[in-house]
Formats: sequence, C-alpha cells, structure tokens
Amino acid sequence: MSSIDDETLMAYADGELDAEQCAHVEQAMRADPQVAAAVERQRALRADVFAAFAGVLDEPVPARLQPAAAREEAAAQPRVRVDLLAQAGATPLPPRWHWRQWGAIAASLAAGVLAGALGWQQINGGDATPFGRQGDALVARGELADALSQRLSADAAQGTVRLGVSFQARDGAYCRSFKLGSTAGLACRDAGAWRIPVLAQAGEAARGGYRQAGSEMPATVLDAIDERIAGASLDAAAERAARDRGWQRP
Amino acid sequence: MSADLENDIAALLPRLRRFARSITFHREDADDVVQIAVERALTRAEQWQTGTRLDSWMFRIVKNAWIDEVRSRARRDQLFAPEEEGEHVGDDTAAAHQQRMAVEKAMSLLSEDHRMVIGLVLVDGLPYKEAAEVLDIPMGTLTSRLARAREALQELLSDRARNKR
Repeated sequence: MSSIDDETLMAYADGELDAEQCAHVEQAMRADPQVAAAVERQRALRADVFAAFAGVLDEPVPARLQPAAAREEAAAQPRVRVDLLAQAGATPLPPRWHWRQWGAIAASLAAGVLAGALGWQQINGGDATPFGRQGDALVARGELADALSQRLSADAAQGTVRLGVSFQARDGAYCRSFKLGSTAGLACRDAGAWRIPVLAQAGEAARGGYRQAGSEMPATVLDAIDERIAGASLDAAAERAARDRGWQRP
Repeated sequence: MSADLENDIAALLPRLRRFARSITFHREDADDVVQIAVERALTRAEQWQTGTRLDSWMFRIVKNAWIDEVRSRARRDQLFAPEEEGEHVGDDTAAAHQQRMAVEKAMSLLSEDHRMVIGLVLVDGLPYKEAAEVLDIPMGTLTSRLARAREALQELLSDRARNKR
C-alpha cells in the first residue's frame, strides 16, 4: 500500500478532505488497487450502517416525544420545594441556584426543618436524620450516608434509599445521585463526608403510567449531574472499585 | 422560551430518534432517551445559544440522557422488539432486512465510545468537527476513535458473514 494512512482514507470516504488532499488520495487510488479497495470498504461500511438506521426517519414520531408534550410534562412535575424553604425563613432562592447558595440556606436551617420542608418522613421512628450540617454544607447522615458509602447502584433496593448513578466530577470527587422517599439529590464525597449540593422534590410516577418512560430524577438533579460529570458515569466494575477505595479520589 | 425553539426541536425528532436507536439497545429505551432529552432541552433552553447548531446541542443532551439516566436501567436482553422481526419485510428485500439486523447486532456489541462515534458520523452523517463537539473531544481523538470503531464494526460484520457460510 502507499504512504497514505488509514485515517486519511477514512476521511476521504467521509468527505472530510479538502480538494488538494482529495486529489492526492485519488491519485493513490489510481496507482494502487489496494488503496482503491480500502476506500471502497470504508464507503461500503458507511453505506451499510447508514441504511440500517435510515428507516427510523420514516417512522411516525410518538406523541410523547413532542416538545409540547414535554412542556406539559415539565409543568406538571412538582417544582423544587424551595418555596417551602423560603417560608421556613430562608432567603428566597434565585431561579438558577447554586450549591453554595444551598449551603448558605442549609446553614440557616435546622436539618429537621429542611427534611420536613422537603416532605421527607422520618425513617421508622429512628432518630437518624438523613441530613446534617457540616460547616456551611448540607451533608448526608445515618442511613443515607451508609447507603452512599456502601451500596452499589445495582444492589437490590433495600430500606428507603435508592441509588441512581455514580460518576466522577470534574474536580475528581465521586458523586452519586439518590432518592430518599420523595426527595432526590446528589451527594459528592468530600473530606470524608457526603456533601449534598442539590436536593429536590422527585417527580411522582403518576399520571396513569404515561410518565413512566420519562425522567425519574427531577431536572434540577439532572442538571447538577450534567454540570459536574467528567466523561461517563461509572459502570458496575468502576463503581465497585471506587467503593472499595472508600470513594477516595484516585 | 420561544415556540420557534420547540418547532426546531420537533423538526429534529426523527434524527434524534435515529441517533438514539444507534446508541441504545432497544427501541423503547431509545425513545425514552429522546423524551428525556427534549424535556431537559426545554428546561434549559436559555443555555442554547442562538446561532450555534441546535442539532449538535440536542445530540449532546441525548447522549447525556443515555449516560446518566437510561443506561443503568436499559433493556439489553431483547435487542429487537418481537414486532420488529417481521417488520418492513414487505417493502424491504429479505437481504436488506438481514443486513439491517446484522448491523444493529454488530453495533450492540461495540463499546459505548465506538457506538457514539459511529452513531454521529455514519448514522447521522455529522461532520467530524460537529461530532467532536458533541462528544467533547479533540478532532484528533475523534478521527482515531472513529477509525478504531470502524475496524471493530467491520470485524464483527465479517465474522458474522464467515460464520454464516
């Protein structure tokens, strides 16, 4: 084969080269049948893959995917209960609030008020409150902290805590999403504690099952994940490894 | 938020569904991913900058919806819904149908990174530059990843062809 590398041939087949580069590849194709065959393989693969999924474009789009449906859905979803926090004496929150602001609010509230405001019910009369204060941050305590530290997302549901995804944040810290009753949140490991930058009222899986396919986590929590996540979420093996390291940054 | 944006997103739905179909393993999961992505896009419409490509922005949200929400509960056991097995055979030749199933099957065996890059460049036809932006990777990484993904896919498809003979 000639000196043209595979990536250049691929880029040629994908129409990514400029005129001069194209001329160079075409010259090589004329001179060397192997080069021509390599380009043909790339084109054929592209055509096959394209054809395999092309039919999707002709399928009718289910109504539930239409933006108008999504908008109604979003309107029907309970908003974050920050209004209740405000009633409890905290400073009103700006529309797009940040965890630092959360921290300040958490600091101004007893954990019990916060848990109550979010509609969270005390676990079976136990005295282990799930949230506490550490400095200006809201942190996980009791069963919630134990679940975050020990359980894997794939483990069978147990108790009241449900774990969502685990991932590494851009700053290297491990974070996990969770649900506790009707409260959902994100917890990030920091200095031996699970700090909770975001806590929100989770959407109920109601409305005649229509909802089931949609988002279980409130948009606030999903936004918080998107803002932080570095790369992809952890798969089962990576999550186990992180847990076994005590969620220390690698 | 403008009705224009909603209309523009609605117009993208067929492409978003096709991309989602190429990165998930099940058509219902693919539609779930798109539904979640549309909801997320509308709740953060202010993050989209007019003048930038809406398709790239939406593809990124679809990708994220898959990664941080649907993947963990995704259906893997049933790659094709039963009704799909016999679908399109009427207006599709049997050979084209087989080929389509073979590609879908091979795609499902690729790594996540490879499925994403194939889904963006070969299935949707996005230029390399836009695909790199969707995936948040440099161009060089995109091209080398795409080359490896193609090799892997070619390998899977030719293995299958050999086994059939």
